[in-house]
Amino acid sequence: MTAGVHAGALPSDASHAQGRRVYRHGIAARTAHWTWTLAILVLMMSGLQIFNAAPYLDASDKSDPAKRVLAFDAQNTAGGPVGYTIVFGHRIPTTHVFGYTDDGMGAESPRAFPAWLTLPAPQDLADGRRWHLFFAWAFFVAWVAYLISAALRGTLRELVMRPDDFRKLRPMQLYYLRLRKEPPPHGTYNPLQKLTYNVVLFVFFPLFILTGLTLSPAVDAALPWLTALFGGRQFARLWHFVLMALLLGYFGTHLVLVLTTGFWNNMRSMITGWFVLGEHDGVGP
Amino acid sequence: MRRRLFLASSLSALGLAGCGQVKESLTNGPFRNVLLSTEKLNHAVIGTHGMAREYKDSDIDRNFRVNGLDTPSDSTYGALARGGFRDYRLVVDGQVDRPQKLSLAELRAAGDRTQITRHDCVEGWSAIGKWRGAPLATVLAMAQPKATARYCVFHCYDVDQSGQNYYESLDLHQAAHPQTVLALDLNDKPLDLDHGAPVRLKIPTQLGYKSAKWVRRIELVADFKPIYGGTGGYWEDQGYEWYAGI
Repeated sequence: MTAGVHAGALPSDASHAQGRRVYRHGIAARTAHWTWTLAILVLMMSGLQIFNAAPYLDASDKSDPAKRVLAFDAQNTAGGPVGYTIVFGHRIPTTHVFGYTDDGMGAESPRAFPAWLTLPAPQDLADGRRWHLFFAWAFFVAWVAYLISAALRGTLRELVMRPDDFRKLRPMQLYYLRLRKEPPPHGTYNPLQKLTYNVVLFVFFPLFILTGLTLSPAVDAALPWLTALFGGRQFARLWHFVLMALLLGYFGTHLVLVLTTGFWNNMRSMITGWFVLGEHDGVGP
Repeated sequence: MRRRLFLASSLSALGLAGCGQVKESLTNGPFRNVLLSTEKLNHAVIGTHGMAREYKDSDIDRNFRVNGLDTPSDSTYGALARGGFRDYRLVVDGQVDRPQKLSLAELRAAGDRTQITRHDCVEGWSAIGKWRGAPLATVLAMAQPKATARYCVFHCYDVDQSGQNYYESLDLHQAAHPQTVLALDLNDKPLDLDHGAPVRLKIPTQLGYKSAKWVRRIELVADFKPIYGGTGGYWEDQGYEWYAGI
């Protein structure tokens, strides 16, 4: 412990901290991170398996083709079967990828998402649900455990947006776009990182859980306001899917930034907890 | 046999491109039981509380979607249907003090509840229908279940292509819910053949496969393990959850 300092022990002092080893991520944060990584992968793939059983999304309470936002379809044509992705009524041929695609049994069939994207691979709603509901619990437990641990360790303070972080968003963006030489001074996380993590942890994650629960008829009976909040059961199914797409976007951005901002240092910090501060990295809130 | 077939098919079904082996080893062992254990947690946490939302007449789907096994085509059911179900009797037996054989007229007299509720299919879609019939609780009360009875099992007329009968089960807490009804009418008309005539279960607090169609017998039991595949229902025997609240 003499080799480094605990994050949060120092005030934000970006310019003089370079090269210092800091213990950035506690065991709970690291466990939660990798639990989420696995759980979200399984949840997305088993979620697409579940989606395939009713491959359409309606902005309504009950199913209503007049309010259909996204759908998949397959049709026989003179030139063979064609798969369609239908967005707001516009039919886009997506044969071999969506609509008519790999069925996981060595052939192609009418099927929204291909077998290589779903868990299990072939059509299997029962097992898809089992995987989904188990990893939904793993995801939820990791979230609650992380929040409690981060609050107790004090690291949540480093992550939560503060009023002056909002002013720093624009200069931070300009720095990322190479239009500014220096990032605004910041602590453990820069203002854009904070905003992103805050949206994922405090908006996306709870919304995932709540929209998922709204698909449950027993939850709808117990908490009718929840169903009303999302516009009904089918609408909640649509929100759940949209959140998945947004999280996929976050995941892509996250991977690019992990790769381009000191990959080994980033990986080490998420495995052992220890992070070597770079030129602009700070410590603290 | 069926269970082995199911496990074999689900295991062979596991196989994310490139890591099928990993998934198989994960699933083919203690992890499968871990996976299945979630159901008990969901049952304990979510359970059956509150009332399903009841809708307006204008919300009703007039062409209520038909789903599930094919309409029964055997001679017994066919003869009943041709006779307008005059000879139909709903049997309520098993662990009861007073076994019942109820005609449709007796069922209508047993209780009258009308509810416009949403039917949520495990596949993901929802439809709204107006259901009218006798609350299950009042019918069960007529048979006076013994203290040892814990579940009611619904035996149905429909049979799948391999000859397996449809059946379902509820515990007595779910059965006692005021919105759990033995429906005789859908959308102001007696149930038609495809929607489960003459009597079907309708339980809007659980997924659609619980709402068994073409019910012929309700058997009160202490445990459903000795019945068919032993998991309490036709779809349950294919791997779906017995607790279908989620």
